[in-house]
Amino acid sequence: MSNVLEVRDLTVRYRTTRGDHTAVDGVNLEVRRGEILGIAGESGCGKTTLATTVLRLLKPPGYIASGDITFYPKEGESIDLLAPRGRRLRAVRWRHLSYLPQGSMNSLNPVANVKNQFVDVIKAHTPGRVGNLDERIAELLHRVGLEPEVARMYPHELSGGMKQRVIMAIAVALEPDLLIADEPTTALDVTVQRLVMQNLAELREKYGVTLAVITHDMGVHAQLVDRVAVMNDGKVVEVGDVKQIFAAPTHPYTQSLIASIPNLDVHQREKAGAHRAVEEQAS
Amino acid sequence: MKELALNGVTQVFPGRAGTKVLAVDNVSFNLVSEPAKIVSLVGASGSGKSTIARAVLALQKPTNGTVTYNGKDVFKLSRKENDTYRRDVQPVFQDPYSIFNPFYRVDRVFWKAIKKFNLTKSKSEGQEMIERSLEAVRLTPSAVLGRHPHQLSGGQRQRLMLARVHMLRPSFIIADEPVSMLDAQVRKHFLDILIDFHHTYGMTTLFITHDLSTVAYVGGEMKTIFHGRIVEEGPVEQVLVNPTHDYTKLLLASVPVPDPEQRWEDRVEIVDGMPRVVPVE
Repeated sequence: MSNVLEVRDLTVRYRTTRGDHTAVDGVNLEVRRGEILGIAGESGCGKTTLATTVLRLLKPPGYIASGDITFYPKEGESIDLLAPRGRRLRAVRWRHLSYLPQGSMNSLNPVANVKNQFVDVIKAHTPGRVGNLDERIAELLHRVGLEPEVARMYPHELSGGMKQRVIMAIAVALEPDLLIADEPTTALDVTVQRLVMQNLAELREKYGVTLAVITHDMGVHAQLVDRVAVMNDGKVVEVGDVKQIFAAPTHPYTQSLIASIPNLDVHQREKAGAHRAVEEQAS
Repeated sequence: MKELALNGVTQVFPGRAGTKVLAVDNVSFNLVSEPAKIVSLVGASGSGKSTIARAVLALQKPTNGTVTYNGKDVFKLSRKENDTYRRDVQPVFQDPYSIFNPFYRVDRVFWKAIKKFNLTKSKSEGQEMIERSLEAVRLTPSAVLGRHPHQLSGGQRQRLMLARVHMLRPSFIIADEPVSMLDAQVRKHFLDILIDFHHTYGMTTLFITHDLSTVAYVGGEMKTIFHGRIVEEGPVEQVLVNPTHDYTKLLLASVPVPDPEQRWEDRVEIVDGMPRVVPVE
């Protein structure tokens, strides 16, 4: 299986008044074409910094201390993602590499209708002329289970889950090779969360989009992804097939992450001994 | 024994173009201090959970019905009764950031409470009280006191609110989505402290959440709320194991099972605005 993305020895630091803070520490990772890769870890472990670096959205005081990121489009030559600037960078983004940001419910423009937000993206990232987009927008909305009428609506008329799905449709508007989704289900209700996960799975199954899904929710990884990379303190501590990682996690951090998954067992506390757990955390 | 009761509470908000939105529809239930209980209120966003919390905390007067504390309408309490009620019913809110004034050090939330409820006149005694409460929520006093809210993590800020609760020893805690912004490990830690308070100090907790796994974790009783109405209630072990209402069933079916060997084989679809589980064709 060929790779879409290869990250080699990537180190990203933030300059602070008390010296540099290493957020991503010598990360090696590849994303294979056609897979859903999960990136797990708790808040502050460097997941989002890794994503923003790959997308070249890292802003000062953050900087890349070392490493390479190579991107392999479906056709044509490989691209050194750390090299392009300006127009060339814009050509890579969205057409090859797309992003579903964290808290994307706030990512829509409140004073433009949904259709115009599609048009903006398509115009900005397509080199040639764009033609009539109505049918294309309707089709993109259909992919995420929304009616064509949604195109005429404004963000405030949409529910949280609908906004999230509009953003998903915009993110895949230019048939990207790779979509990086940062916490796509966080802050949504369980039922809406399940719909969004269903839509993400369908983007891969029906439309062949490769996905990298960043989330701290191990339940989402278990239900959605093929492989998981577990991050802790800026390092990838374990990568592997999701079934294997859940069945036999080798790194102690992965074990603790899996052990702390909330579940629906109503007798879990008696089993674990709630008071003992409290004491342990105190020490 | 103290009692906090909702009697036929209905809340209507003005909607778009003169329409009315029925947020809470004739809800009645009561919470008692003895025996202390944890009661979870579960529902989707927009189901009316937070409106109920706001009514119980006397932050918003319901359109119809009353909220009573020891039999008295919370909107008609005398000044003295109101002080007792304010101390005895403590909130923990969802967003551990917005409840702090970013300009002040976090110590202020404790000193304000000490002054307002006249816990002590002595500065050193007050300091001791604060430190004892911080230790009760496993925070190191020297690590948090004197800091500003932005210097602390979400989990630490949320535990500060628990420390304030610990200091005031209320009979009732109204916790509105207190862990939805915390990740799994920090969440578990927070819930353990809350459960510990319930056992140690006998605090009755109204725990509002959309997350069934936290309900399973805290136990006690639960009520499912759907479109402003309580549609199912009972002990957590019973409702989560044998749900009778379709909406509770749907919520349960939507929780991702943390096992890649047990993936969903059906789908959720929205039919006439109501999500439901359908088999894959």
